[in-house]
Amino acid sequence: MRAFLDMGGYAAFVWPAYAVTFAVVILNVIWARRALALARAEARRRLSARSEP
Amino acid sequence: MTWTWFHRLGSPPYVYALAARLTPWLAWPAALLMIGGLWGGLVLAPPDYQQGDGFRIIYVHAPSAWMSLMVYTTMGLAAAVGLIWRIKVAHALAASCAPVGASFTLAALVTGALWGEPMWGTYWEWDPRLTSELVLLFLYLGYMGLRAGIEDLQRADRASALLAVVGVVNVPIIHYSVTWWNSLHQAPSVMRLGKPSMPGSMLAPLLMMLAGFTLLFGALLLVRLRAEVLNRERAASWIREELGT
Repeated sequence: MRAFLDMGGYAAFVWPAYAVTFAVVILNVIWARRALALARAEARRRLSARSEP
Repeated sequence: MTWTWFHRLGSPPYVYALAARLTPWLAWPAALLMIGGLWGGLVLAPPDYQQGDGFRIIYVHAPSAWMSLMVYTTMGLAAAVGLIWRIKVAHALAASCAPVGASFTLAALVTGALWGEPMWGTYWEWDPRLTSELVLLFLYLGYMGLRAGIEDLQRADRASALLAVVGVVNVPIIHYSVTWWNSLHQAPSVMRLGKPSMPGSMLAPLLMMLAGFTLLFGALLLVRLRAEVLNRERAASWIREELGT
């Protein structure tokens, strides 16, 4: 396990690279879902504003 | 040959429903492929004979770089279709690409810097490959900035589409930069004619990561596309049904 974490002495480069990429993947999932949720809320708001005279 | 499928793809309610249905079919295989690729790349693949375990950065760097180019190409194509045939859905698709592409371009640059320091002795060099990839990041940011700066959605679509289409020239420049000029960056070892120059145990996880990232892009695009389509449809009755209000 120690050897794995040490990455043959390259731990200081390998793990940050994986962390950055992982963060970008997760953030993209969160951003995309949030964009859809916001657009749906906005569409709902527009529709209800129109149906009231 | 009928063109009905093409016309249907220009119809917002059809696209919205189709995108919602397809998303899980891309997202779950993407997750599985990425987990498999991670395991294969970090645990199963043997260390490189020259770079030791440092080479494992390839499993996050190459897919990020691949995303940066593939997403831009998709964005340019969608923008061109939007400009030529004035299809709203195509503009919505192009707009959905930009944030995804920009973030993965940044990931490619950062992971590349983290790979460059131990192997080349520098985080950054004004080298053709690195510089053209940085230009790609600025193209994405310029595209998003331009869209954010124009209030009218239709005008924003057209102006940003023009920028996206012109920027496509940078894609082959990035890809061939390592062949055309003397570069610190190595030449392609997978995306090239003939056999990839890597043993199977190293190559398989890389291919899984590439496929996983590509499917992830598909899923992200479909979710974002639905948001963009909703924003473009001011008061269509199908939205009422879709949202169940």
